Amino acid sequence: MQLALVGLSHKTAPVEVRERMAFNSDALRAALTSLVGRQEVNEALILSTCNRVEVVAESADERLIREFLCEFHQIPHESVSKHLYSFRNVEAIRHVFRVAASLDSMVIGEPQILGQVKEAYRIAADAGTVGMHLSALMNRAFAVAKKVRSETGISQSAVSVSYAAVELARKIFGDLAGKTVMIIGASKMGELAAKHLKRAGVSSVLVTNRTFERAVELAKVFEGAAVPFEHFADHMVGADIVITSTGATHFIIGKNQAEQIIHRRKNKPMFFIDIAVPRDIDPSVNEIDNVFLYDIDDLQQVIDDNLKERLKEASRAEEIITSEVEAFCLKMKGREVVPTIVQLRETLEKLRRDEIERNRRHLKDLSPEQQEALDQITKSLVNKILHTPIEQLKQLAHDPQGPDIADLIRKIFNVKLQ
Amino acid sequence: MHVVLLRLALGLYSVGFAHAVLTALKKKQTFFKPALAATLAGFVLHVGSIVLRAMDVRYLPLTQQYEAFSFFGALATLGFLIAYAKYRIAPLSVFAFPVIFIMTFVANLYYDPSSSIPPVLRSNWIYIHTPLVFLGYAALFIAFAAAIMYLIQERALKSKHSTRFHNWLPSLDMCDDLAYKSLAIGFPLITLGIITGALWAQAVWGVWARDAKVLFSFLTWLVYMLLIFYRLIAGWRGRKAAYLSIVGFIGVLVTFLGANYFGGLHTFNQ
Repeated sequence: MQLALVGLSHKTAPVEVRERMAFNSDALRAALTSLVGRQEVNEALILSTCNRVEVVAESADERLIREFLCEFHQIPHESVSKHLYSFRNVEAIRHVFRVAASLDSMVIGEPQILGQVKEAYRIAADAGTVGMHLSALMNRAFAVAKKVRSETGISQSAVSVSYAAVELARKIFGDLAGKTVMIIGASKMGELAAKHLKRAGVSSVLVTNRTFERAVELAKVFEGAAVPFEHFADHMVGADIVITSTGATHFIIGKNQAEQIIHRRKNKPMFFIDIAVPRDIDPSVNEIDNVFLYDIDDLQQVIDDNLKERLKEASRAEEIITSEVEAFCLKMKGREVVPTIVQLRETLEKLRRDEIERNRRHLKDLSPEQQEALDQITKSLVNKILHTPIEQLKQLAHDPQGPDIADLIRKIFNVKLQ
Repeated sequence: MHVVLLRLALGLYSVGFAHAVLTALKKKQTFFKPALAATLAGFVLHVGSIVLRAMDVRYLPLTQQYEAFSFFGALATLGFLIAYAKYRIAPLSVFAFPVIFIMTFVANLYYDPSSSIPPVLRSNWIYIHTPLVFLGYAALFIAFAAAIMYLIQERALKSKHSTRFHNWLPSLDMCDDLAYKSLAIGFPLITLGIITGALWAQAVWGVWARDAKVLFSFLTWLVYMLLIFYRLIAGWRGRKAAYLSIVGFIGVLVTFLGANYFGGLHTFNQ
């Protein structure tokens, strides 16, 4: 198996280049067939997302893929070559595993990439451009990604503001069913946080805004209730989670007010999420028992902590990838060793017989004993010639880092696998 | 035979102890499932040990110091297993397993094969008074562990710094709920324990026993009484309730462990 991978990603190319090199889903099929139609390219798969374009092919020459990419997008090679990376064999396998396991993602551990890789595989399979090698590789990559996900914590903690809010709410309330969230003010981020909380199980939504119409509008979106801004404090008694994002220039909720509310709630815990800048809630509210206040910086802090945690987990994930790459290489190499040996023997045996056949004329004077001896000598010669290559083949097949000797030997002896 | 079972149980509990220590050090759950299985197996052997001892002495095996530790260890395990079965809070193990291990370890340390029972303890009251008190202790121990978990989680949330260990701990709501429910079970038990103790003393001497243990258990009871009162009337929950629950359990430990040093009726044979 000869693997070649050429690609570019957010790490090597700015968005202007990425968008020019991207394949839209309609073009993918044509691109795949055109690529596999070329000589020396036997199988191919293209992954194209907003962060990366990767072409994986069963081919001995990655230059072919580079040429194809430039031709297809009609971009001169010089202008993109510095953004393109290419990997062969072991390194290509490692790259595919890392991408599928979300170790190469912009946000490490983000879960979407695996779905995108699976989709790319499905499209290539539909187009008939994946065969034995790529399907073995991709199926292994899916399994490795799953293993990394379950055995490390790279996808565990929230790395966006809205998910961080949900995660914190779960730490306070456990189950969010039966809880009420109140949205004060209307901002995109506040809306998004409320949406995630609702999806996480929050039962009812209260909305308030200085312009009541806006509150009514938003309440409709969440199937909640709008409350007049003047009385929001009264309604807050029933709210477990409060999201504020008004444009007010001063605090709209002070410590005294929060204390009264928590008292009226009989100390039932409250979670305030203040994503307004300037802030809407007096930071000293966090000092009240059973009240938890997070402003936008606090949420960012949580996200940063989680990202650090993910990076730590990522090094464990890399270890898993390394051992999986080795195991996969061994398996693929082992797959080719036996057929190569068989073919090698058959090819040379045929050579020997053809040679004797061709010289039949000169040999006809030999006695049957001598003919028998000649047969034995040539057989032994073939065996001696093959002895070392076959030994090496068997040995190196167990060394994942070793060269692809099966391929080399097949080339030297001009042996084709059937 | 019963001592062999007790030692085996200790060996199994040590797996749980190792789990708790490693988890606390690495701040990451470490072999919880094997530890849980070992603790469960240890508990079965432990109960077997207590039953065999009871058959040996033909009495409730709670008249010697090591027997008391062993009994407490077994009940703490029971408390953990019940709480785990109901709430699936794995982190409880970090607090429960060391206590279980230490109690059983001390029981092994103080092991004394003699089976003489002081005449003053020869009464049917022992079958009621002591189990009630010990069951109450086990429940209050769970309340204590829940309170500690609450405080750790609460501190992380207030200070806005969480680690994976905090993500692993249960939610505040669950900790508080577990603490409250354990208190609701433990408090009536120790209340009945104290009442039966008083009745027992009345039956023997016609007056209430006046030793240090009685005094301390009464003080402890008062702390828990206050806690219940604050929870019901003042709507206390969370941090304040957790602090009081910890104070109460320190009272339990002083009452239980300090018995020997105070002298008096509750001193064990030595």
